[in-house]
Amino acid sequence: MQQYDPDLVLQELGKRFRGLGGGRMAAAVAGAFLLIWLWSIWFTVQAEETGIIQRFGAVARTVGPGLHFKLPNGIERVRLVPTARVLKGEFGFQTSATGPSQRTQYRDSKAFKDVSLMLTGDLNVIDVQWIVQYRIEDPIRYLFRVRNTPQTIRDIAEAVMRRVVGNRLGSDVLTVGRVAVSTEVKVEMQKILTAYEAGVRLVTVELQDVTPPDPVKPAFNEVNEARQDRERTINQAQERANREIPKARGEATRTITEAEGYALERVNRANGEATRFGTVLEEYQRAPEVTRRRLYLEAINAILPEAKALYIVDSDQKALVPWLPVESGQVPIAGGKQP
Amino acid sequence: MKNMLNAGLGLLAVAILLVLSGTYYTLEEGQQAVILQFGRPVGEPVTEAGLHFKLPFVQEVRRFEKRLLIWDGDPNQIPTKGREFIWVDTTARWRIVDAKKFLESVATEAGAQSRLDDIIDSVVRDQVSASELVELVRSASWEVPPGEILEEVPAEVREELKKRIARGREEITRTILAEARKIIPQYGIELVDVRIKRLNYVESVQEKVYARMSSERKRIAARFRSEGEGRSAEILGTMEKELRQIRSAAYRKVQEIRGKADAEATRVYGIAYGRDPEFYAFSRTLEAYKEGQNKNSVMILTTDSDYYRYLKEAAPRAQPGAPGASPRTPPGAASARPIR
Repeated sequence: MQQYDPDLVLQELGKRFRGLGGGRMAAAVAGAFLLIWLWSIWFTVQAEETGIIQRFGAVARTVGPGLHFKLPNGIERVRLVPTARVLKGEFGFQTSATGPSQRTQYRDSKAFKDVSLMLTGDLNVIDVQWIVQYRIEDPIRYLFRVRNTPQTIRDIAEAVMRRVVGNRLGSDVLTVGRVAVSTEVKVEMQKILTAYEAGVRLVTVELQDVTPPDPVKPAFNEVNEARQDRERTINQAQERANREIPKARGEATRTITEAEGYALERVNRANGEATRFGTVLEEYQRAPEVTRRRLYLEAINAILPEAKALYIVDSDQKALVPWLPVESGQVPIAGGKQP
Repeated sequence: MKNMLNAGLGLLAVAILLVLSGTYYTLEEGQQAVILQFGRPVGEPVTEAGLHFKLPFVQEVRRFEKRLLIWDGDPNQIPTKGREFIWVDTTARWRIVDAKKFLESVATEAGAQSRLDDIIDSVVRDQVSASELVELVRSASWEVPPGEILEEVPAEVREELKKRIARGREEITRTILAEARKIIPQYGIELVDVRIKRLNYVESVQEKVYARMSSERKRIAARFRSEGEGRSAEILGTMEKELRQIRSAAYRKVQEIRGKADAEATRVYGIAYGRDPEFYAFSRTLEAYKEGQNKNSVMILTTDSDYYRYLKEAAPRAQPGAPGASPRTPPGAASARPIR
């Protein structure tokens, strides 16, 4: 467990070489070692990083991006922590390939299902995939207050997500509750991580795919279909009603208008005919006998040319039917006596 | 002689170096150390990072973590109070607070992990078995969300959902932590947090839960469908009613209008024709004959009819009753009365 000061080690090595007799060679080797050792006095910190310099293990100072110098290894060491970068944890899935031109691909496996399947408040099972994005806010705490901070973030994320989802109905998480769930998880996780002094600031917690478990999906889809069916059936009925009622109204108005037309016609005709009759009657009353005969003969005149056959029978002839060739379906305008 | 002296000086230098290197040690940030003197801890544990001094050879440094450490238990199959078997996966965070006690009682982290396994597993088992599944899943703040979402929940489940949660997951977790903490300080460990990481049904139960979920969904689907049909029937019924109302109202109106018109016409005819009903009958009859249904018919006229009377009797004759004779059936008109 002892740490040798490299300086002393070099001296010792130098002595050994001298003992072997190659004095110059030994000096060269020692010089090379010294150079390598001194090489460690400078270092660069990348744009997104923070450098933490520890002297004999204790944190001495932190430095920002750029070229920096320190005492050589063995006295001071530097650790680089990507403080400006947003780090991401994926839960229930894993991005396996991301490229500028190709779509992001995801892998899926049993192990991920263990993470993503959880119980909801109504004791159903739901498949939730989510991500947690965070930044290292305090690199000293991040490194020296918690061992394996990423694993801690994972554990806390799973525990908190399960608690929050367990406190809601499955249908809520599936639909309107997504934002509320992620907000609640973020707040609660941050509280715990702050209590752990993990030096981490959560940027966002976002739910990705939230679905029913695979075996139940068809049944869930069926509910959606049924809901659509319900709307469709109602709409169809409404459509029919909307089509038929105005039509019936129109028809009703039409029949009424027709009836009104009929009424006008009927009354007008009656008045017309009454007037005509009255006028004719006046004339008739002046010469009833002649007019009567004239009317009768005029009528016969009008009828006779239209008739198919005409039989003139003596009034003494009683049974004239037997010798008439009466065709079936033809009704003779005949008559015996007027009753 | 000179060589001997040189060698002796060299050896001395090496010895001094060895002794010197044994007089100090460095402590990493996030670590603490216990100094052992002949295997026995001396003094307070060193918690400050940096360069420290000690006696060479007789004192030895044991380093321990000062950071928050992870304990991750194996998932356990535990029955709840309601006899459902579930997988419970817990995780805990702990740290070494008393390095000396820690060294004396468990010596290494692995030793501590196995103690924690025993303690936490048993406390978790106790607590889970004493709780209902809903208490493990829900939190004390559980309340049923209002309205809309409940629409999809079967009625008998709804009641169950409204039950208040006495303990809830947070409370159970707190109890687990408190119970475990009672035992743990004697190891120089502080248990910072215990959490239920995962909680799942065991395989066989899971399948049944899936089946139940499916059947619940199907029930809801059936309800939606029949609701649709019900609404549809309702709409069509209302429509039918309205249609009948519209049509019958129209019919009534039509009959009224027609009736009024007919009545009016009847009145007009009555007044007009009442002035001479006989002439009306006569002229109307003639009109009827003229109106065309006589086409292609066969006419039989007796020679007595007014039309042919003059064919039979070339000479005119007195006609006393002619005006009174009904001309309605011309062929028989003459024979109807004693003409001769």
